[in-house]
Amino acid sequence: MNGLGPIASRLRTVSGALLGILLVTYVYTVANAPIDSVQGVIQKILYVHPPLAYGAYLGFVVTAVCGGLYLWRADEKWDRLAIAGAEVGVIFCTLMIVTGPIWAKGTWGKWWSWDPRLTVTLLLWFVYLAYLLLRSFSEGGARTARFAAVYGLVGIALIPLNYFVIEIFGGRGMHPENLERGSLGEGMGLPFLMGNLTLFVAFWWFVLARWELENLRALGLAKRADPMARAREEIA
Amino acid sequence: MRVLAAILWKDLITEWRSRDRVVAMLVFSLLVVIVYHFALPEGTGPDIAVHTPGLLWVVFVFAALIGLNRAFAMELENDALAGLALIPADRGWVFAGKAVANALLLFLVQGLAAAAFGLVFDIDLAASALPLAGVFALGTLGIAPVGTLLSAMAVRTRFREVLLPILLLPALFPVLAGAVEGTAEVLRDGGPSFASVQLLLVVDGIYWIICFIGFDYVLDE
Repeated sequence: MNGLGPIASRLRTVSGALLGILLVTYVYTVANAPIDSVQGVIQKILYVHPPLAYGAYLGFVVTAVCGGLYLWRADEKWDRLAIAGAEVGVIFCTLMIVTGPIWAKGTWGKWWSWDPRLTVTLLLWFVYLAYLLLRSFSEGGARTARFAAVYGLVGIALIPLNYFVIEIFGGRGMHPENLERGSLGEGMGLPFLMGNLTLFVAFWWFVLARWELENLRALGLAKRADPMARAREEIA
Repeated sequence: MRVLAAILWKDLITEWRSRDRVVAMLVFSLLVVIVYHFALPEGTGPDIAVHTPGLLWVVFVFAALIGLNRAFAMELENDALAGLALIPADRGWVFAGKAVANALLLFLVQGLAAAAFGLVFDIDLAASALPLAGVFALGTLGIAPVGTLLSAMAVRTRFREVLLPILLLPALFPVLAGAVEGTAEVLRDGGPSFASVQLLLVVDGIYWIICFIGFDYVLDE
């Protein structure tokens, strides 16, 4: 069908094996990470929450880029990868929106704040929920793919615009500006790194698995539509 | 450009003959204003002035949704949508004609709804009518392109009236942020600040470009 199929399948196997190893080390390092002197044990959400955020944004970038490639090349495999990116992105984003308030309640004292980054991410989450709804409410086929691609591109254009809005109207941020610049306590760097690495690999593993599934589905649909293939199957 | 003018003219003349979209938008807007009366028991106090910009834009968004839902639904009759797709010109101009028509209708309803709002809640909007109209226009020029593009998508799906708000509202955040801020500045200082006008101009420009290009992929026969 296309040359990418076997490569994707092999990549998934490799990333699956890697994920297994990483998960064990990840859990081990997080369990052994020091307890934060101010925030207590709840600070360990750090090892899950920002990595989920990177995965969420990555998923939406994958969706938009693949949507653009689909519009450009009209090759369905890009559309199928866009579905995978959106679905995995939404799952990562949902988990991030769930873990965030738990941490916030423990440290800021309230479940939610209209912090700029929170607002933008929440809006993005809604954009991609709408993306999935658009897909499921359309009749399928090339039209759905085109609609979804256009909407995905509008969605990604919203990210800089929303940040522009917040910058102009001076939203006060409660999120730390940059985690990497030495603000992590001693012994917290390694589990944080492991969290990023593990969830990054997990992200790609899910995307590849979802992509493969969608490819198989398309293959099945094509087969069902082809009377010759069906006849051959019946004979066999 | 000729396509733009033709589509715009067609939309305005159909609207003039039936007047159903503007009337529906207006009636709905007035109903929302009445809902405000019940939602804000002490709404007629000085508090209302602070909330006026936000409340007004909620009315405008609802009005826009009502109007946009019809924008392409009327083209489904007699397969007029296929005819639009077959126009021998860049489909972007079809989009532009539709979007300008939507913007004009919404702008008209905005003026009437704002007048009614000012009247019943005793807020002097007429004093700053000109800058207000400017901010309304800039906001409307941001709602119209995405609204038109997404309405053309939603009309081709199941549950189209349900899907349009879900698709459109998250995309309107930058426009609404700028428009509400601008409206508040007009009511407070007599004119919008450079920052909100700049934001609205940038967002409007980006939306028009994206939607002009994207529409080509949305309209099909």
